[in-house]
Amino acid sequence: MKRFIQHEELARDSRFTRQTTALSSLIAQLPDDVDAVVALFEKFDPIIEKSTRGTMAAPLYDAYGPGFGLMTNTSSLKPGDPATETRVKLRMHGIYVGELQALEGAGRSLWDFPDAPWEFKMNMARQCWDETRHVQIYEKLLEHVGAAPGMFPESTFLFECACSDDPALRVAGVNRGLEGLACDVFRDMIRYAEEIGDEKMRQAIDYVLADELTHVRFGSDWVREFCKNDPERLKRANDFRKQVDKQFNFGGARSERKDSAIPIAFEDRREAGFTEEELKELVALCGEGPSRETMREAARVLRERHLAKLAARGAEAKS
Amino acid sequence: MSERMYPGYGRDERTSFAPYGAFEVPADLRELFGRYDVEAMARRVRNFRYAEEWAMMILGGWIATIPEVPVKTGLGKIVWDCAQSADAFGKRLPELRCGRRAAEASEVSNDGFAKVIQALSEPESPDLTIEKIAGVFDALKPHLLAVYERTLRETDQITDAPTIELLEDAVRRTRKHIAWGDEVLERLCDTDGKRERRRRRVRELRAQLEACGGVTGTLADEQGRAH
Repeated sequence: MKRFIQHEELARDSRFTRQTTALSSLIAQLPDDVDAVVALFEKFDPIIEKSTRGTMAAPLYDAYGPGFGLMTNTSSLKPGDPATETRVKLRMHGIYVGELQALEGAGRSLWDFPDAPWEFKMNMARQCWDETRHVQIYEKLLEHVGAAPGMFPESTFLFECACSDDPALRVAGVNRGLEGLACDVFRDMIRYAEEIGDEKMRQAIDYVLADELTHVRFGSDWVREFCKNDPERLKRANDFRKQVDKQFNFGGARSERKDSAIPIAFEDRREAGFTEEELKELVALCGEGPSRETMREAARVLRERHLAKLAARGAEAKS
Repeated sequence: MSERMYPGYGRDERTSFAPYGAFEVPADLRELFGRYDVEAMARRVRNFRYAEEWAMMILGGWIATIPEVPVKTGLGKIVWDCAQSADAFGKRLPELRCGRRAAEASEVSNDGFAKVIQALSEPESPDLTIEKIAGVFDALKPHLLAVYERTLRETDQITDAPTIELLEDAVRRTRKHIAWGDEVLERLCDTDGKRERRRRRVRELRAQLEACGGVTGTLADEQGRAH
């Protein structure tokens, strides 16, 4: 078995379809400009449409056009909002495939770095079991909210952007960048579960969040150990983590603002070992790129154009 | 004169407490002397650690290459079990006079067993789940189970009791793994062709294991004695 596989090589059963990851990378680099966001999504429209066909995202595409993901990512989960049910399913599915990729990433860390210190291997092996349980937990939670694995397209962006061939960068990206993001997302899901009085969801995700803090600590410890006496490597690891943080802002959906779709879980992050300086950097990073308002406006424009296009096609067919 | 509570130095200066025959009821039938001395057991433990560590790494690598989700998640737990077995074996090594830094010292018994591990890790493509699972769970793990059980039977039950405890844990885990692998393979091998793939894979690896003497490199000698 070779070492260092690409994200395209992640094996899946027939329930799953893939979503392009190029779009996610490009969004993170866009300026705060509605036209730029619209132009990017229109460019990827055929690929987005193709990836939704045969999944439960197809009706969303039909209703909102290529920007349907922006509609869900940039809005918080509000009890009573008619769109919340779909948003919960989409978010839960995104977490489920994220956990699947985290399991695969931890497993690959064992195979890709055979000469790593034993304690590192023990931590990664433990993470394999934790991620396994997370996959199983989210599979149950998907069922709990009326969803199922493979119901929406899967983006393998998590595996793609976090799995570096340097173990220091990998733990910086996966354990500090992505598991840190998980702290934010899970804290928000717990908030939502409390608001709707769903004790089963609240308790399950609370346990998962506890595991994530441990994984962030693994990352903090190993970045320090791998980069001991090597300031260059430490800088590379920190830069890589920041790059991952930036790519996973979901176009400004995660931020420190009170109305953000995913607030930053400061307390959980502090407990996991993030420093105040790192938290300040994260807040600054979340302010870069397109704002939430820009993304929402872009989603509105994309929807209008999409519906106009459908209407024109319909009229053409009639004539 | 009050009864003596503590022994004195003279022949008659004994306490009045009756000797307590803790090991007489029931009689302690264990006898000193086992098949392996300290050095031989240390070598075996290093060999066991090698097998568990590589099983952990190979299974970890395969998770991403296997399409069946329940197989992925099953392997995730087994990876952690193998890590715990390897860790426990490693921690025994300094106790067997291998030096304080020996806890991370895996050792392969011979080139032949290293080639078995290489052969085990070869299947890569997503359509080879049968070969992957059969190799580890039908060939390697039953072999390890047999060697662990033989070792814990044949080592000194008193002097080497700490190794026995580790092996008992490893045996318990390995039995569970074999049962899991069998269940997975029963489901996956639903045609004659697939059942034959399973049998062929096991045949090939068992032949390699026998040729190299297994995990400890001493299989032929041990089986000869057992017969």
